Order: sequence, then C-alpha cells, then structure tokens
Amino acid sequence: MQKRNKYTEIEDFLSDESFKSWVLFKIDEDGWEEWTLESLQRAKLVEDARLLLLAMKVPENNLSSSDIHRALHNTWIKVRDKENQKTLQNLKVKFLRRQFLSGAAAALFFAFMAVWFYNSYFKNESTVVTYNELIYENNEGLVEQTNNSDKPQIITLSDGSSVLLQPNSKLSYPKIFTGNERKVYLSGEGFFEISKNPQKPFFVYANEIVTKVVGTSFRVKAYSDQPDVEILVRTGKVKVKSNDLVSRSDKEEIVLLPNQALRFLRSDLKFNKITNITQDAALAQSIGNIEQLSFEFNDIPVSQIFETIEQAYLVNIDYPKNKLTDCHLTTSLSDQPLTEKLKIVCKSIGNNTSFEMNGNQIIITSDGCN
Amino acid sequence: MKTRILPVSAVDDNTLWNNLIIGDEKSFSLLFERYYSDLVNYGNSLSPYAEKVQDCIQDVFTDIWVYRNSLQESVVVKSYLFSSVRKRIARLYERDHIFRKTATTDAIAFLLEFSVENELLDDDYAAKEKVIYLNKLLNELPARQKEALYLRYHQGLSVEQIAEMLDVNYQSASNLLHRGLLTLRKEWKGSFSLIMLLFSGTL
Repeated sequence: MQKRNKYTEIEDFLSDESFKSWVLFKIDEDGWEEWTLESLQRAKLVEDARLLLLAMKVPENNLSSSDIHRALHNTWIKVRDKENQKTLQNLKVKFLRRQFLSGAAAALFFAFMAVWFYNSYFKNESTVVTYNELIYENNEGLVEQTNNSDKPQIITLSDGSSVLLQPNSKLSYPKIFTGNERKVYLSGEGFFEISKNPQKPFFVYANEIVTKVVGTSFRVKAYSDQPDVEILVRTGKVKVKSNDLVSRSDKEEIVLLPNQALRFLRSDLKFNKITNITQDAALAQSIGNIEQLSFEFNDIPVSQIFETIEQAYLVNIDYPKNKLTDCHLTTSLSDQPLTEKLKIVCKSIGNNTSFEMNGNQIIITSDGCN
Repeated sequence: MKTRILPVSAVDDNTLWNNLIIGDEKSFSLLFERYYSDLVNYGNSLSPYAEKVQDCIQDVFTDIWVYRNSLQESVVVKSYLFSSVRKRIARLYERDHIFRKTATTDAIAFLLEFSVENELLDDDYAAKEKVIYLNKLLNELPARQKEALYLRYHQGLSVEQIAEMLDVNYQSASNLLHRGLLTLRKEWKGSFSLIMLLFSGTL
C-alpha cells in the first residue's frame, strides 16, 4: 500500500479498490483511517474523495444467486436453440448447395445433349447447305442486297448482268467481279440475265446447288426454308451441279436447255429434271412477269418497249416522250440482261441517246431518233 | 459483502476465457456467474426495460458460447462483456421502431442516477449535506461523462477500455472523465464555503 503515499488527485483514490471498500463498506484492511490522519492535506483530499464516492453510489438491485442460476440455465437453453438452428441452417445451406449443384449438372447435361443432338441431326443431313454457310465460306468482301419489299427488285451487277430479286430474298455478290469466275450467292428467288462472257463463267450458288452459265437467262428459286431448289431456264444453256459443300450427292452435272427446269430435292439430294415446264403445275404457276413477256419487238414504238421493260423489271423509265414519239424499233432483247437491253435500245434510237440507272430509276436522255 | 466487490476466485478471467474457447462449460458458467449481476446493473442504466436487458445479456453469453471458436484469446474479459452488452442494447434500440431516431451506439443515453447511501452518513450531518449536493451535481453531468465515471470508478475499467467501449479515442475518454470531475470540483469549491456557512449558521 505504498503507492497511496503518492496519491495527489481524487481520481487516484476513486480507482483504489481498497479505498472504496473502506469508504463504502467500512472494511478498513489497510489502515486508511490512520493513514489519513497522518497529514492534514491528505485528510482534506481523502475527505473530498470519500464524499464524491459516497455521492456516486449506484443503486444495485442485487440479484440473488438463484436469479443468476436461473439466468444461466436460461442461457444454456438459448445456446442449445441457437446451435440447433445453426446446424439446421448449415444443413439447409448444404442441401441448397447440393440442389444447386445437381441443378447445374442437369442443366449442363441437357445443354450437352442439345448440342450433341443438334450436331448429329445436322451431320446426318449435313447436305442441307444454307445461304449463311455459303456466305461464310466465301466472305471476300461481298455486297449483300436484301429485298424486304413486296415487289421484285432489280440488281445490276458489275458485269452488266441483271438479277430480278423477288421479295424475301437476298443476293450476295462482289462489287466487282475479279478472277476467272463470276460468283454470286442467292437465298430465295431471283431471275438472272447474265451478260455473255465465255471466259468468265457465271456461278449462282444457292443452297446445295451451283448453277453455271456463260450467258443466259434463268430463274433460281432457293429458299432456305423450302424443301427444294428450282432452276428454270429461259434462254441459253445452264449447267447445274451440287455444291462441293455437299459431299454425298452425285457429282454429275446436269445441263438445262431453254424451257427446261430442274428441281432439287434437298432431303434426298436428288436432281429432278423437268423437260416440259408447262406440265409442272408448280412451275407454270410461278412464272413471273419477266418470263412471260416477249422481248421480240417488230416495228414497235419505243414507248411500248420501255413499258415492257418497266413491267418486266419493275423499274421506272424516264424518257423524253415528245422526242421519241415517232421512233419504232425492231429488235430481239430476249437473251439480254437489263443493262444490255437498254444499251441496245439506246443504240438503236441514235448515237446521242444514253441511259443512266439509279436503283430502279432509269433516265434516258435523247435528242430523238435518226 | 466482501465477495461481491472483490470476487475471490482462484481462477482469473483470462484462464476461464481460454478454457471457454476450447469448450469448457464450467468456465463459461463461472464467468457468467461472476459478471451477470454487474452486467445487469450496467444494462439497466442503459435501458429502462429490465427484462429486455437480461435477455440481451443472456444473448451475449449465448453468442459467446455458440461462436466460441471465433473468439480472440487475448481480451480483457470484463470490458469485452460490458461493451458487448452495450452494443447489444444499442441494437435493441435500433430494432425497436419507436427508438429508430436514436439508432447509434453513441445515442443511447446513460440513464443511471447516482444515489446517496444514507445509512453511511447518519453520523455526519455536514458531510451528508455535501454528499447530497455533490450527488446533485453528478447527476447533472452529461450522460456520457456519467457513463465514463461509472465505468471507471464503479466497474474499474481502464481509460483505454472505456475509450473502446464508447467508440472514442483515448484522449476523448480521458477528457470525459476529467471534465466530469473538473466541473464538479469547481462547483463544489465555490459553493462549499457557502454551504458550510449556511450549515454553521443553522447549527
């Protein structure tokens, strides 16, 4: 108890347990009474501390030991409850985790099955080649034109060939044909009029078949969601064979002559040549404007020729009517693409006649015929 | 009486605490019995709902046992218990919609009123007057100063532990304690002579 000799503050006394027990409970084990009386200054400090301590009493609602025991018992019950809850929660979490895992496993399994099924299904029928695959194989800077309107649309290719693209069809073609081949890709239906160039054969890739021509007009109908592909020839000669992508089908080429058609059954990979198109109801029905119209003109007014072209290609032709009223032509335009037809007509009218094409708008400028 | 303020026990808090951590139920019970009463008193000074206070304290002990594996070994058990109870009661206030506005631990008020133990003063009337006056001054102190004084001088917690409990730094806790006593002493020096005069006058 030597440290109390250094006490100088009330705080020092307040935190002294022995001092507290003396003040509060009159248990003077360390002789506080005598120590206090040793010095007057000390007595004053001790008195202040004593008074403060007495003023700071706290009401103690003393719990009996049975109260404490009951509380302890209560606490143990709480502990058991909480532990049970905890294990239950753990179980739940584990259960959920297992559920989740098995769910994920099942999902994965189904995904694999789906992929496997998809693959095997389409491997079995890997014969079905769609436009997208074709394009994917040959993505060398192709231009894609889609006809979303309800009317046929004319497309003029860089070599002067024209394609009348039917609604819901699309054609991919290079901006400029390079190399020794001209290749275009079709999905849907189009009427092709190919400018003649024996050095550069023209290929139409449509679904599983390839149509090779040098200069002719023909129709290709190859919708990816239809069971067959149709080729109908108007003029010239057309060679049809199956695409290299389709390995199993017969490699032979089929030659089609004017007014002959070919139907390719995509499921069997069988070519079905139709020699008389008038006897095939489906084909006869589907013959469009352009195929019915005759482009054999014998002393016919230019205005009427333009009208025929307008009807065939669904274009608008703007020409100086008053200057060309008296112009009559005799010509055969049957086997020519649109640009070729226009060239021939313009040449026939006179040297100072020319045309300009802008989409489906054609403008003829002319000073009149010779 | 003596056993209550100076709990005589062969085993110190930390030994019990460490035994508790490794799963000794006896040590848990001993610590419970050692501090339950003190904690109830302290808890009652923070909340007027005696039953809820006991509930909170029991919950504190429940958590200590259930989560004993994640307890730290080197803690001052007493201040750990006091501060846990304080937090738990503060949370009680938080959960209670009526007390939403006073949601933080800082906001719970120390409600305790210091009292005077009359029987001790019967012998000395002058001292009694002084003590009653001092008691009045003490009870007028801000709640946090009161709480700090209570924890320091009644529960014997160190300034550091008080700082931790009240979520302030050491200096602030020290100031809380000091300022409380300082105001007290100032007041009391000024007015004591007056009281003495009055007192001697009546005598």
